[in-house]
Amino acid sequence: MKKLSFILLFSILFSQVSFNGNTETRIGESRTGFYYNETLINTHLQYGDFNNWLQFEFSDPPELGRSLNGLRKLRLEYNRGDLAINLGDLYEIWGRGIVLNSIDDQPLDRDTGIRGISINYNAHPFEMQFITGRSTFVQSTIYAPGFNNRFHNYSTSYNLYGIDLNYTLGNHLLGTSFLQSKEDHPDALADTLDLKNQLMSTHYTFNNTIYDFYLEYIMNRSFEFNKEDEYYQQHVDGRGFYGNVSLYLDLFSLNIEYINYQFGTLDPLNRWDPVSNYGLFQPYQNPPIAMNIHENVLMNRISHQSDYNNEVGYKIEIMGMFTDWIDFFGVYSISSRSISWVMSSEDFSWMKNGDPSYLPILDKAATPFRDIYGELTFYLFDGKIHLKTGYADSYDVTEITSNIKTDTSSSLYYMLTSGQTLPLHVSYAMGGGWSINLKLESQKLRKGFGRIDKLNGATVVDTFYSDFYNDSNNNGFPDQDEFLDFETNRFISISIGKSPYWSVALTMDQTNITEAGSDNSHHENPLETFLGVDQSKNWINLEVIYNLTPSMRLSLLYGSLKGGLICTNGVCRIIEPFDDGFKLGLTTVF
Amino acid sequence: MCGAMLYADPLSGTALPNLSIKLMDGGHTSLDELLKEGPVLIDFWATWCAPCKKAMVFLDKYHQKYEDKGFKVVCISTDSPKSMSRVKSYIRSKKHKFIVGLDPNQQIAQKMNALLLPTSLIINQKREVVWIHQGYLPGDEIEIEKQIRLSLNLEAEKSE
Repeated sequence: MKKLSFILLFSILFSQVSFNGNTETRIGESRTGFYYNETLINTHLQYGDFNNWLQFEFSDPPELGRSLNGLRKLRLEYNRGDLAINLGDLYEIWGRGIVLNSIDDQPLDRDTGIRGISINYNAHPFEMQFITGRSTFVQSTIYAPGFNNRFHNYSTSYNLYGIDLNYTLGNHLLGTSFLQSKEDHPDALADTLDLKNQLMSTHYTFNNTIYDFYLEYIMNRSFEFNKEDEYYQQHVDGRGFYGNVSLYLDLFSLNIEYINYQFGTLDPLNRWDPVSNYGLFQPYQNPPIAMNIHENVLMNRISHQSDYNNEVGYKIEIMGMFTDWIDFFGVYSISSRSISWVMSSEDFSWMKNGDPSYLPILDKAATPFRDIYGELTFYLFDGKIHLKTGYADSYDVTEITSNIKTDTSSSLYYMLTSGQTLPLHVSYAMGGGWSINLKLESQKLRKGFGRIDKLNGATVVDTFYSDFYNDSNNNGFPDQDEFLDFETNRFISISIGKSPYWSVALTMDQTNITEAGSDNSHHENPLETFLGVDQSKNWINLEVIYNLTPSMRLSLLYGSLKGGLICTNGVCRIIEPFDDGFKLGLTTVF
Repeated sequence: MCGAMLYADPLSGTALPNLSIKLMDGGHTSLDELLKEGPVLIDFWATWCAPCKKAMVFLDKYHQKYEDKGFKVVCISTDSPKSMSRVKSYIRSKKHKFIVGLDPNQQIAQKMNALLLPTSLIINQKREVVWIHQGYLPGDEIEIEKQIRLSLNLEAEKSE
């Protein structure tokens, strides 16, 4: 009887339980020994007002990061009426993410999640969220010992709490946030600093059918614990502003964004050092950027790396339809540091040059970035042909290494990446589910360092030394006559597909230069042999994607992939090339 | 492959929670609210996802074509705050009529098992996922419409 009652109770309970989830398996191995094997399993269990999310990882090793076998993430959620309580791994965004935007970006191995509790109360027009928990942020950096592109070598942790309040009145929304973290920060001397970081913000939103705007002002302060006197001493006092205005007209929409982040002003030598510079921009902040997120492969490779501590800029976007079958899109974005930098001619230390600017500075000493992109999209023959073409022009002073000024002369050394890119994407739906897709991207790239010397205001030296060379005699280093002013890149992808089941894509990634630092050990794969291309300047692969069922997708890639910089939303990471190997991916939903 | 046979039944036979969805024009709605009059196609997309935008041209047509039968298309943007400001501009410039939701931290996408962009799901009035499709290939719109019609009982299920 007892057993029967238990079975009955169990059945009643589980008849009300919903369960679903997904799995993602990725395996890859290249001829150079690059190997990864990782599976992620997500499960969602719902019972009444409760939801439970569990994420398991089984990796040995993953493509990026360190191996893990077991539970990776968990969260228990309770939702009833106006109240929601979440316990476990939290990924939250407040406003536009300037104070809090915790993300799990697995392609970059960037996880800023918070393990803790959040309490949300949403009773219109009032909305409140309280959050508290612990976040550990890991990264690969050359400023800490044991640097490796693939595995992290530096870690900081935060005990944080905060509150976000919003009040809606008609079309108006007013919000305010406060977030404080106590940070354990290992410094360059292997000592762990005790920091208290505070972020406070106020934001205002107005929504309308013709126009919207969003404004947010942020203050950040950081205090370092003084062990001798046992008190927290303030060492950072920064601020930030973000504004967005959108206009919606019958013929087009206009969108303008302005950023002015001055969370910390670091000199060119210290800009990217997260070990010696602390209490500034926090990993759990992830704010908007004044740059276009491109859809094209080659443009993304030269994407601007945002300096969230100190960046001033704006972005203007216009989009609309000329006719029912022609769309247009244009974007202009520009940003720089809020000040320019000069170097002392006495001790070669960096000094701020002038007052902070509210607009981007075009002087190379403020490392400016500019990007112009225009695009036309055509939908022809009742949507059977989809053609998209565009033109991108970008200019990015990535670093200055020296800028010495005297009363009569100046000498500036800078690093520059600039390029013009032409993308063309065409797809043709042939009927019966068959389609052909073609992607062609061509890019002319300039990269290297430049020198500008001036005497009494007149330019006496203006030279540029290119990073690019073609090692035509294969002696392993660039000879004087082998330097090239420009790199020409081409990305070609041809695919054929049968909807909704499969597609096959042949992708060629070409350059005309010898990769700097490359030992030309790139292995030739049979695809490259078949096509008769120079194996040191081509990366060719073939990928098959097959939908085994609507909820199960298999992908298999054979060949080589070009490594280098990959950027997502202004955050960049160097990825090793994948040389002559297989990649297998399987996703299932259950 | 026996296409229609595979697509007919709920994926796991279990219902999704009554998720709250933030709307592009302000305010919130819930899955139950959306399902009041009939099944819903939920599509996850982003402004930087080219195949998503190709698919949305057809989704808008289907939204308008089957709206009077109680069917709705809800396109949920997964744009993070870095590209969120472009969502409304894009939708307005394309004059899309479907409902647009926002999921900047991808919590709804996670609960609906949307691993790739675009991912489309048809959900019946019992909150069950009756069909899911990952990615977009030209021609997928034919299968999408077939599944919409199946969910509305406008087309008898056929086995190939």
